[in-house]
Amino acid sequence: MDNSAKHLLQRLVRRIPASMLKSTLDKWERLTAEKRKSLDFTQSKWIITQELVALCEKSELTVKHITELEMIYITENPNQGMWHTFQLVEPEDDAHSVELMQFKEQFKSHLRELQRNVSVKIKKHTDQAVWIRVAWGDGLSSPNHLKATYVVLYLQTPYVFVNALSSKHKPLLLQALTLSTRHQQIKAANLSGQKLTALRDLLMRQYQQVFPTKYPSPLAESDQSISKLRVEKVQAEASANRHRMAGETFGDGMLPALQSAVFKLETKFKDPTNEAMTQRDEPFICSVKFSSSNLLESLRHCASSGIASTPVTPMLSSIPLKGRNYFVITDNVLTA
Amino acid sequence: PHSGVVKRRSKSQSYRRSIRTCFGVASGLGLTPALTARRMNTSRKAPRSQNITEKVKPEHLELLVKTEWQLSYVTPLYQFRHTQLKSYSRQLSAFIAAEKQEGLAVEVGGLQNTFKVSFSVLQGLAETSDDPETVLIQVQSKPMFARQEDPPKTVWCGWLSCINGNPEYLQSLPKDFTCLPLFCSKGAEDLSSLVKSWLQRTFDCCFGPLDINQTTLQWLAALWTNCHMETNIQNLKMIWTLPVLPPLQVTYTVDSDDVLDLWRSTRESSAEKSREAEDEVCIDFSEVTRFMQGLMSHFYRHFRVDLSAGELNQVSSALGSAKVNGKIKISSSRYLISIFSLLTECALLKMPI
Amino acid sequence: MSLLKPFSKLPDLNTANILLVENEEQFQQNLADTLVEETAVTVNVRLAKSLPLPMENDESRPRIDLVVFIINLTSDKSFESAKASLKYLDPGYFLGKVCFVATNARHASVRTGCLDALRQLAALLHCPLLFAEDQSPEGATSSARRLLTILKVASGLVPNTTALYLSSLTRCTMPPDIDQPSFD
Repeated sequence: MDNSAKHLLQRLVRRIPASMLKSTLDKWERLTAEKRKSLDFTQSKWIITQELVALCEKSELTVKHITELEMIYITENPNQGMWHTFQLVEPEDDAHSVELMQFKEQFKSHLRELQRNVSVKIKKHTDQAVWIRVAWGDGLSSPNHLKATYVVLYLQTPYVFVNALSSKHKPLLLQALTLSTRHQQIKAANLSGQKLTALRDLLMRQYQQVFPTKYPSPLAESDQSISKLRVEKVQAEASANRHRMAGETFGDGMLPALQSAVFKLETKFKDPTNEAMTQRDEPFICSVKFSSSNLLESLRHCASSGIASTPVTPMLSSIPLKGRNYFVITDNVLTA
Repeated sequence: PHSGVVKRRSKSQSYRRSIRTCFGVASGLGLTPALTARRMNTSRKAPRSQNITEKVKPEHLELLVKTEWQLSYVTPLYQFRHTQLKSYSRQLSAFIAAEKQEGLAVEVGGLQNTFKVSFSVLQGLAETSDDPETVLIQVQSKPMFARQEDPPKTVWCGWLSCINGNPEYLQSLPKDFTCLPLFCSKGAEDLSSLVKSWLQRTFDCCFGPLDINQTTLQWLAALWTNCHMETNIQNLKMIWTLPVLPPLQVTYTVDSDDVLDLWRSTRESSAEKSREAEDEVCIDFSEVTRFMQGLMSHFYRHFRVDLSAGELNQVSSALGSAKVNGKIKISSSRYLISIFSLLTECALLKMPI
Repeated sequence: MSLLKPFSKLPDLNTANILLVENEEQFQQNLADTLVEETAVTVNVRLAKSLPLPMENDESRPRIDLVVFIINLTSDKSFESAKASLKYLDPGYFLGKVCFVATNARHASVRTGCLDALRQLAALLHCPLLFAEDQSPEGATSSARRLLTILKVASGLVPNTTALYLSSLTRCTMPPDIDQPSFD
């Protein structure tokens, strides 16, 4: 095992929390059960790392094997780092028939054509997701495994999630993706966040949605306890309306844990009480960031409690409807 | 329906006066007179860029700016002498050493050297002749495994000050009291509490946390915006928290030129006042309120979310940042005095009469 | 604009009706649950976010004997909403049938002057002002107890006393120093 492999392993073990180390190594299957048993996980991380390096050296493992371990860890714990979303558009006629083997081959060859010295690893995850790990090398230098880019895509869907991609490599990766999935173009989808699962659920609409109906919701079963008999909400109807509209906009039950949304506003300042500002020609430039541990749930609560007026403005409802969390707003136009 | 209320108001004045003489009783029904007769200033001077490098030593300034300070208020110190700082340094060093080695079997004298305290006067921050000079307290220590020749590191730093304190209050204090109501500290929490408890015992004073409430944060937003006329503040950033589940944080950042235009427009409507006193530009709190309302209404127009239902938690610009939990950072020494005058006022409002 | 009137309906036997108005709808439910536990009289509680009340259920609504405005001092909106709601009350209510409850009065972020403004409002309208702790069940219990005392008088269930008489004793008075010039 050379120094770079050792270094990679050390860095990786440092990232993996102690509680997850054992299970991750078990899934890796590059060390025999006996060898794994010889590791004492109650020791300090530093000592475990030393022992692990020694074990891997004995088993003559290489960088390739270490990257497998990394991939296992990242696939199991995808909610780290910043994930950016891209959308494939204008599919070719045969786009729907691209299958995994063909994609693998195509992607690797396209990327190698564009850039020498790249190391690509592709694996299919249990939930149909295709995970791609790309380590980039520049010109003559060998691939840098310490800063690998991760790409997650679901074949036959237009969305691609990318983590840790430098602006230098962005065009190369996007081109390879477009060609190998048989599309003509790819564009930024203006959705990013730490939680890959949340981004995926939002875009694939994997959460409970409510569709507007004209029929009133079934009445909640009447509770005959004394407090229910004697306490009455006078404005129950207005409150029920707010709840219904909030649910229709943001969905019902558990919502994808999107953590933030950013709006860049370049609109005119209009306020009837402030003539000077209203008459000003230039736009009022500001940015607004909404953040929460679960943004959609917070916004739904805002609407149902009346802090946000209902019906909810298109500005806020575009977050779940369009599956975006970055917006640039200029007067009359909602553009990217 | 309106008229009923209005009529009531006009009558109530005289009625209230006569009835108060009969029922001067205090009770738990909001009848008690306010705890303090003093109220926050509703008007203050616009901060002007000051070159305080002439007054304050550059090494002191370097210490004050660009660090985040935790604010506390302190009641007046009894029998504090600016002339005895050397003796205080020795006493506090010994106190810290004694507290630290409590329950530890450590060689006497061995640990005493690990913490070295120095009290010094930070000259130049006092603005009026009534303001006592600022006192700087530093605790230095050598790291556990440091070599002999390594210089000791400052592990804790704090200062007591009074900048533009209310002269009426300062003059009303008995002779033996020194009023340094604003206490800023940074460093380990346990050292902070040790220093506080020593000051409490020695000068018979009390400490309490000094929160920066919404009014003060709004003042800071307006004052910093006003500074953009002279110094670039880059942008004004305000953070609100809305009381929903899970809590929603709204970060509202406005471009400095635009926010200054808005500030000017809210000032213009009260332009007559500023013409009266041409040399001293005064800002009234009603202008600050209008300014904040302007910002909120622009927000509401886009998002239909009412920010006034939430709490303003933080205000920041290129000149500094302030948080509701009493943490403040000043990034430019030019407006140091005006910001700390405001904070001194907040601290004085906590004083017993 | 529909006004809520104190004497437009007939009272029920041994029954007191209280209306809790709170913009944030946080504390009112706890308070209501505690209030209805009272056994000496039948207490009916109506909850509202703000006034006016909707016309639809006006018929079925009993006579309201006491209107309580719950104001969270950390939120400007809470205070503004209560102020706006006052317009929809018949002047007759201000003869001892309105009460203010302030929460979060000691919270760190409360604006300077917010409490003063509320005291001024309560004093001008001749209403009592109570301070409540809204985080614990004990806080709700003690506030409920105090509100019940006022409610029983306001609904005419206590012999030999009237709401107007009680309010002249309990109403908030203006602190003597409230109009004094500020700090400098």
